[in-house]
Amino acid sequence: MVDWGYTINKPRAIAYDANDHTWENALQEAVPVLRSCIGCGNCTATCTAGNFVPFNIRKLQTLVRRGEYAGLRKELDKCMLCGKCRLVCPRGINTRKMIVTLKRLLAQPVAAGIPVAPGAASTAGQR
Amino acid sequence: MHTSDMNTHFDPFVIPFTLGVIYLFAVVVWRYVKWFAELPEADRRAFRHALFTVRSLKAVREVVEEALLHKSILRVNPLLWYMHLSFALGWFLLIVIGKFETSAYLKEAFNPPHVHVFFRYFYPEEPFRFHRGFNYAFLMDAVLLFILSGVALAWFKRLRASWLGMKKTTKHTRGDRMALAALWVVFPARLLAESATCGIHQTGDFLTHSTGMALAGMVGPDALRMMELPAWWIYSLALGMFFVAMPYSRYMHIFTEVPHIFLRHYGIRGGDKPGSADNFQIQACSRCGVCIDPCQLQSAAAMNDVQSVYFLRDRRYGLLTDPVADNCLMCGRCETRCPVHIDLNRLRLNSRTARAEKAVPLTDDRYAYLRGEDRSEGTGKVGYFAGCMTLLSAPVMTAMQRIFDAAGEEVWWADKAGGVCCGRPLKLSGETDAARRLMDYNKALFEKHGITTLVTSCPICLKVFREDYHLEGIEVIHHSQYFLRLLEAGRLKLKASGATLTYHDPCELGRGLGIYDEPRAVLARLGTLAEPKQTKKHALCCGGSVANFVLNSQQENRIATDAAAVYAATGAETLVTACPQCKSTFRRNSALPVSDLAEAVAAALEVPASAHRIPAAAGRTAAPAAS
Amino acid sequence: MENTIAIIGGGVAGMQAALTLKELGMRPVILEREERLGGKLNTWDRLFPTWTPAREVLDPLLEAVRGAGIEVRLGAAVEGVSPDGRGVTLAGGERLAAEAVVVASGFDLFDARLKEEYGYGIYDNVITSADLETMFREKRVLTADGRVPRRVAILHCVGSRDEKVKQNHCSRVCCITGVKQAMEIRELYPECEVFNFYMDMRMFGPGYEEIYRQSQEEYKVVHIRGRISEVSPTLDGRLQMKTEDTLIGRPMKMEADMLVLLVGMCPARSNRSLAVSGNLSLGDSGFFAAADAFRGNTRCGENGRIFFAGTATAPKNVGESLNEGTAAAWQAYRSVKGGASW
Repeated sequence: MVDWGYTINKPRAIAYDANDHTWENALQEAVPVLRSCIGCGNCTATCTAGNFVPFNIRKLQTLVRRGEYAGLRKELDKCMLCGKCRLVCPRGINTRKMIVTLKRLLAQPVAAGIPVAPGAASTAGQR
Repeated sequence: MHTSDMNTHFDPFVIPFTLGVIYLFAVVVWRYVKWFAELPEADRRAFRHALFTVRSLKAVREVVEEALLHKSILRVNPLLWYMHLSFALGWFLLIVIGKFETSAYLKEAFNPPHVHVFFRYFYPEEPFRFHRGFNYAFLMDAVLLFILSGVALAWFKRLRASWLGMKKTTKHTRGDRMALAALWVVFPARLLAESATCGIHQTGDFLTHSTGMALAGMVGPDALRMMELPAWWIYSLALGMFFVAMPYSRYMHIFTEVPHIFLRHYGIRGGDKPGSADNFQIQACSRCGVCIDPCQLQSAAAMNDVQSVYFLRDRRYGLLTDPVADNCLMCGRCETRCPVHIDLNRLRLNSRTARAEKAVPLTDDRYAYLRGEDRSEGTGKVGYFAGCMTLLSAPVMTAMQRIFDAAGEEVWWADKAGGVCCGRPLKLSGETDAARRLMDYNKALFEKHGITTLVTSCPICLKVFREDYHLEGIEVIHHSQYFLRLLEAGRLKLKASGATLTYHDPCELGRGLGIYDEPRAVLARLGTLAEPKQTKKHALCCGGSVANFVLNSQQENRIATDAAAVYAATGAETLVTACPQCKSTFRRNSALPVSDLAEAVAAALEVPASAHRIPAAAGRTAAPAAS
Repeated sequence: MENTIAIIGGGVAGMQAALTLKELGMRPVILEREERLGGKLNTWDRLFPTWTPAREVLDPLLEAVRGAGIEVRLGAAVEGVSPDGRGVTLAGGERLAAEAVVVASGFDLFDARLKEEYGYGIYDNVITSADLETMFREKRVLTADGRVPRRVAILHCVGSRDEKVKQNHCSRVCCITGVKQAMEIRELYPECEVFNFYMDMRMFGPGYEEIYRQSQEEYKVVHIRGRISEVSPTLDGRLQMKTEDTLIGRPMKMEADMLVLLVGMCPARSNRSLAVSGNLSLGDSGFFAAADAFRGNTRCGENGRIFFAGTATAPKNVGESLNEGTAAAWQAYRSVKGGASW
């Protein structure tokens, strides 16, 4: 499982071609401006939740945009949806829409085998 | 007496009408009983307790004023009011007077509904008999004419909505179109049928007699006789079709408005989660479309299918989609105009709750990371909760510090070093239960530090503190209210600048919590207040609402630019608001400089600013933008 | 008067255009809003990438303008320009007839107060890059209470590439300015640590990348990839900054004695009135849109008599602005004297 930014990632390459891009594409379709992210880190720096717990919204969405979904459910649950990140984003990304969209995507069945949470690989399939 | 069987008053053409009536009442009764049975026990108890109280009388009065006389629409649009009045009151009178007419003529209290509906067919000679007594025929003709004038207006409205002073009118579903088509036919068909009968028998009053004679003159007595029965068939069929389509159309509101008014008077309004009480509200919507014009998504962002009327329609028919549920500023501008007083924001919100509960399972360890956290600073009976957005505004934070210092207030700072969100933004997404975790955290924090007053600069936080936190022994006030208290107690001295200021009512503060006067009272001590064209409960939304999950920043900017122009038109020098979100949105879209009330107050403090500041560096240029 | 060319703005581009036109036998008139020539260069200390004192660029230009007897009108703000380039209108209504116009009206510095989260104008030790240049000129970079800073943070892209303040463009020169200023602080106070917070390092000019590298290797300036999200004062009078070290992927808090905001270049506020009166187009960013980006970047259109020089059309460095002064002057000269378009 990929750690969401607080230890150095395991030396595993992102198998971009092997990854499932369903959610990635759906997310980018719902929030097209997300493609314009310059990775400045303002969202993560200002994050209300990130002040208490390891939570990196910049990395979260970047990983999704590479087809990496491991641990996503658990990470999304940390967000308080306060909207501070939206207020500082220099690209004007509607980060709250992004989070809400991701939560909904997780509830939809997608191609089998996407581990969304440790020990809960079937979560996506059930909902 | 007509040729048909006078004792049973039967002719096959009454069948469509009769079946329609039976079907309609079966459906309506079934629905209301079901919805009522599904109300939470507490609501049903409240209903029983309120039933024989003065509240019922008030409800009856409102039923007359609104369901029959449509007084609210009169205030919004007199022509539209006349149209609704002619249908509602006119039809009501047609039924009531028709019933009296029939009973008086037949000298029996009860008879099947079709008898009075088709009375003229069965008893064409009646009007002459009644000339000596009470002229029912005249009344019936007058009422029919009244309704027909409304029908004419309705036709016209379809053709040219703008003529009725409405920029936008509503779109229809299939049930609506069926019912509407039938409705348009019903009264002209009645006129035709009655005219035919009256023409044949040379009866009728000023309307039906005249049209009847004219008709007879035009087509001749034989042809008139031939068309009489078909005309009554059309009338009956139109009525039957309308009654069958009615439960599946917006006309369901005709009946549902009545229980809706009673439930409202009994305080039964549903809650954060969808419930049975919502049914009465949703189906009480007449789809009049009054909610469309005030919607800034429509006027500034060209979004024409998400307004409350469409939201309710979609929700009623189970067709609600995320883009509609999510695309609302929840500014409440439509809610203040709704003639039926539907809780539009609450319904929008609880539809999101239903959707969120399906999508996001609430785990036990949600926000467990907050356990034991306390980053607050200072001590005092007065607590200050900046709120996430305010924390991004150094000028507001500094202004609050200076005001507290000037007033000599000991302050407990709840979230200066980063706090936990108040929970409202999450609640607005529909995750009500998860938001409760955040609320519980903050509530425990406030109670732990023994504060008696909680001041916040953020109306979003204020609203949720007041409505969902249930803080015992802690008064929650907005900073505008706090400033006014300090001023009235003589704890703050301000030096009026004499500048002309205009004030933006934040949605959550104004329409959301009814706080309109305190910010203005504070501003009045700073300078001259110039009110914009739309103000107080009609104030515009800045467009940056956290309740909206759809808008991109270009769309937000368009709404804000439109609104900012209204403030600029006042000729004021500064736009003052009292919400960090409004301020942030306006700042990048306003020709006027924008500041928060706290900044305006701090800038006018009679304590010299330098007392709180270290002198600036020698080489510092004062205003970089002046170059 | 015959051969008169009105030059809006007496910064480096305007002066260079005037000198060129004078040499070509024309009658340039410099219209400068301020009370002195030189524009922004007056306030800079030393220039990247060579540490050349700004005066060494400015003084010869001023000298030449004076020596050539070029007509200069100070305190002359231009409010409008004729669409045909046959004159301008000054504030107060005075009209100056001309045969062509060179718009060298420059840029405005971004007002750092608009980024409230950084507290400029609120916290004493939050300054802009322009403020720092003034300090450099006085050879003293001190905190508000007169101390030598032990640590200075420099934040890139303040008022550039930022949708939230409607400045979507890149101001180009801030990156290299940040590197230059970091090195200068290190030269001035070798004990002082300097951290640059950047999103992208855009070293677009000759020698720029080299000094970037020099700043890292020799000057030990630390470059952290992350935008500062907010600043708050600490109890002991320092500044606490929040950012994410995006190369590591963790939030970061850091204290500093001084924060320098590298303020971007905004379109000059006069652009709008000039554009409206002169029927000139503005780009999305608010700078003037030249005829095309290649052979027409100092022209307003195919046959117009209005020409652009310097940062009126986009953020540029001093050298580029000077070159455009010459280019625009030649274009203006040919438009008046005739001759095939190049």
